[in-house]
Amino acid sequence: MVFISLRAGRYIHRFWGKCTLSLDSFCVFVYPVTCSSMMEIKVKDGSSLCTLVPDGEPHIMQSVSVSEDHRCSSISVKSTPEIEKKYVHRVYDAIAPHFSSTRFAKWPKVAAFLESLPTGSLILDAGCGNGKYLGLTPSCYFIGCDISAPLIKICADKGHEVLVADAVNLPYRTNFGDAAISIAMLHHLSTEDRRKKAIEELVRVVKKGGLVLITVWAVEQEDKSLLTKWTPLAEKYVEEWIGPGSPRVRGPSPFTLESIPETEENGSQAHAKDSNDSLTENMQQSMCLTPQNEDDVLVSKHRMSQQEYFVPWHLPYHRAEVSGASAGALANGLARKDDKKGAVVYDRYYHVFGEGELERLVSGMDNAVIVNKFYDKSNWCIILEKTL
Amino acid sequence: MRLLTHNMLSSNIKGVTNGFPLRIEVEKVVEKQVEINHDFLRNIFPKIDWKAFFDASRVMGYAELPEEAPEPLVLESDLEFLRKFHHALLELHLEEGALVCPETGRKFPVNKGIPNMLLHEDEV
Repeated sequence: MVFISLRAGRYIHRFWGKCTLSLDSFCVFVYPVTCSSMMEIKVKDGSSLCTLVPDGEPHIMQSVSVSEDHRCSSISVKSTPEIEKKYVHRVYDAIAPHFSSTRFAKWPKVAAFLESLPTGSLILDAGCGNGKYLGLTPSCYFIGCDISAPLIKICADKGHEVLVADAVNLPYRTNFGDAAISIAMLHHLSTEDRRKKAIEELVRVVKKGGLVLITVWAVEQEDKSLLTKWTPLAEKYVEEWIGPGSPRVRGPSPFTLESIPETEENGSQAHAKDSNDSLTENMQQSMCLTPQNEDDVLVSKHRMSQQEYFVPWHLPYHRAEVSGASAGALANGLARKDDKKGAVVYDRYYHVFGEGELERLVSGMDNAVIVNKFYDKSNWCIILEKTL
Repeated sequence: MRLLTHNMLSSNIKGVTNGFPLRIEVEKVVEKQVEINHDFLRNIFPKIDWKAFFDASRVMGYAELPEEAPEPLVLESDLEFLRKFHHALLELHLEEGALVCPETGRKFPVNKGIPNMLLHEDEV
């Protein structure tokens, strides 16, 4: 991971959240996909990593390439990374009622799994969202949890038994549940360690012999045009983006975005952001990939290996609170307006899963086995059984 | 929050050895009837930590449960016990109050029947 120390730059502070080490400078800890845990360094750990830049020129303080095995042990896997706070938690909190109104269709595969469980089962739903699956089988009892209080409120209003909790650290006794489900949740966790931990938690909280169903969005989307509406996030982002005035800036300006060409929709191949745009927006854009080649084949190949995305959510103006979350979100760059669509646009962070990835995550577990795995409607799914 | 949930909840604050059971602080209890499901009650009974359940029911203002857990066989035929078990497990709601970590004293708020078990950064 790379730590960048810069002289005061309010826009950076606002965009990334902060880790303030001294009055004169602060470190920007950017999201390193290669690191096994997120970087929200506490001050006491930071002193050895980030020092004042005497000459005022920005430069990289320390560049460490962290492999998946190397743990940033000072940061707990249970600590929520900034990218999830901004692009998962806050977004769902802001869009909860609208999101809930669009979440009603019950996925047959999930329904089938729930209906296959013995009557009288206690079923735990981690990341239950608007509670779509709670109570689906009347002979069973459901307890749901989600990190979003507004979504949980929606569940509670429907009479469900729910609580606000973190799926990476479930506040449940071990072995209590009969079964557990995690539907479209794991893909919002930004590191492999956190995704593994969430799976371990699901297995932990069910009894021996209990089943766990996990579904996640797949890289291999049935509707490929969807991918063009998503914003891919650069793995090597930090190495590409240095900052204003740096001699290492590669031309053209790093503050332009060349979008992956849209399909049929419009003929334009790319559009560059106006360099007069606010720095915040430019920074946000420069986080995204600059394609090397606009050739379709290369683009789609590139897309297949790309797993980190921002997926937009369009919150219609009439739904967005004018004086609430959306106004604030717009003010600090967390959301943008799309007047053409009449909506506030929020980005949601996703790590979409490749074929075999779920199996790989569980392969190291000594207390669970895979009893089923399948691909359905652009989702990878797995059913585990707790063995010990 | 129902007592079924309370019987499952445990404080997961860093450093805590045994975060169960959480102590209940009552501000408001509400009773809501729900249909009895004998299959469920018989399935759930062995999972219940009876002492924690009994103590919690008392705090919630319900005095009908036996202090000692009955033999599982009782659930096969004792409808009266099943009714009381059902009532305490699923029909008593802590609407407002708090759940207190037995080791640290940290309070997890319960508002509108919803416990918030999220930890602060320094508790993780």
